[in-house]
Amino acid sequence: MTRTRLLVVGAALLAIVGGGGWLHDPPWVAGLTGGMREWTEDPPGTRFRWTNGHATFFVPSDATVVTLPLRAGFPGPDGTPVTVQVSVDDRWLAEVSLPDPAAWVRTEVPMPRRPTSRRFRRIDLRVSRTVGPSILGVQIGELVLR
Amino acid sequence: MPQEKRARGPHGAGRADALIAVALRHFVSVTGLLAVVAYASVYTCQLADAPIRSDGYSYYVYLPSWLLHHDATLQSIADDCCGGTFPEFAGVRRWPETGRWVNVHPIGVAIQMVPFFTAAHLLTRWSNLPPDGFSPYYQYAAGLAGLCAMLAGLAVLRALLSRHFPDRIVLATLVTITWGTNLFHYGVYDATFSHAFSFFLIAALVALTERWWQAATRTTSFWLAIVAALIVLTRHPNAVFLFVVPLYGVTTVRALRRNAAMLVERRWVVTGMVAVCAACLLPQVAIYKAQTGHWFVSTYAQFGAFSFMAPHLWGVLFGVSKGLFFWSPVLLLAVAGAVVSKGWTPQVCAAAMLIFALDTWLIASWSDWQFGGSYGHRGFTDGLALAAILLAGFFEWSEARPRLSALVRVVTALAVVLSIAQMIQYWLRIIPFADTTWAQYRELFLRFR
Repeated sequence: MTRTRLLVVGAALLAIVGGGGWLHDPPWVAGLTGGMREWTEDPPGTRFRWTNGHATFFVPSDATVVTLPLRAGFPGPDGTPVTVQVSVDDRWLAEVSLPDPAAWVRTEVPMPRRPTSRRFRRIDLRVSRTVGPSILGVQIGELVLR
Repeated sequence: MPQEKRARGPHGAGRADALIAVALRHFVSVTGLLAVVAYASVYTCQLADAPIRSDGYSYYVYLPSWLLHHDATLQSIADDCCGGTFPEFAGVRRWPETGRWVNVHPIGVAIQMVPFFTAAHLLTRWSNLPPDGFSPYYQYAAGLAGLCAMLAGLAVLRALLSRHFPDRIVLATLVTITWGTNLFHYGVYDATFSHAFSFFLIAALVALTERWWQAATRTTSFWLAIVAALIVLTRHPNAVFLFVVPLYGVTTVRALRRNAAMLVERRWVVTGMVAVCAACLLPQVAIYKAQTGHWFVSTYAQFGAFSFMAPHLWGVLFGVSKGLFFWSPVLLLAVAGAVVSKGWTPQVCAAAMLIFALDTWLIASWSDWQFGGSYGHRGFTDGLALAAILLAGFFEWSEARPRLSALVRVVTALAVVLSIAQMIQYWLRIIPFADTTWAQYRELFLRFR
């Protein structure tokens, strides 16, 4: 193997290892959300986003408690409560029930104590039903982290 | 002075030939680089929604359902993404008789996306993104799969054309087909649709067919059967392109008889190929049976109907809204190529003319003959590899006529530039997705704001 080729292979390996390390805990996930519409505001001035059936967002891994403000907006099938399954890093954490479509339910979700090497934990919400062709799930307000 | 000219002439021509050879050798990689830059620009400038959208969603949705949820019914995806249903834009509907989800699009594109999906899934796990099949890595990997299919199709086409045409003709043909039509658009902007994948498969079909008629080795026969099956699995109406196989080399009635005799002689090979092809089609047929209760169904029946006696031929070929030759006028030269070309091109002319006639009739007979939103008419993008051979035949024919050749060069260059400009206008949402009128076209002509 010539010296130039050795250098190219070395640089490629370095890029793969460096890129892989960076992608293991990418800083850009902080602002990454999935399955959510743009921020909007209801008349009293409460900011919220509509989720789809499945929504994802990230919180700093040093947060110990996350307060999730959720509102159904529309009732569940046959008037049953809408439920939202909350999981953190693919582990089920809580089920939030939203019996009144018009009422905000603020649930304090304790984060797992299991240590993580990453700077952010992924929270997934799975809603029991969606509404209309826009696939509306539930409304989620501004999170409070502790 | 004349001596000096003679000395310069061959030297200049030699240098030009060398340049063309280099350009041709690097054509696919340079196109790939341009495609990646364009792809990144489309999404960083937010010119389009995430890659898995519209038809691309239903072509792709099998992968997360099969590989992540281990579910062939698609119900898990409906549950996971949308509380038990599918978005309105998705071509997935409940079949009236069984109540089960039926995907209007077949499984071929998803099969070709598997390596990209696998890489995206591993990376998703590594980065702790949601492993749901729709988070960013999956989205961009699906788009890159279409982009790579376009490049693979161009590579196959280059190899095929290079066996029969000089480098300058091959290079001119590749540039014209890539940017004088909507091929680049469907490899970059709408890359998760089926068209780039079909383009690759049909290029491979023609290349393998040529080899198969030269020598029906086991390897060639096997891959020809696989490619034939994938063509049908990617888009069912593209089964008409399989006429290339029996009609390759048919230029006279005698040649047709010779092919028929050869097929009889190779009947065991052909039987084996049909068996391989049928085995590959079996999963799709089984899916239809499980979902609808029937082995063979028209999944599009819920979305429209064919009216074979009243096809919109003018609209499909020349109309302002989506006409093939209106938006890709350079393809008129391919039509001329079918008539005037000599050498190798006539070997595929009979097949090409039959296929394009049937394909055009099918497309024009469909109730939504515009095929929804598209740049140009996307129904014809799949067959561009076959059209490229006719185009190369025309370029070769015109090259022997110096005055005509100069005109052809100018007209082709203008048509390519116009097509690129209009593609950018489409990306900027200046040209409407569908139903463009003549008044709109004139008003928007070469406007970029």
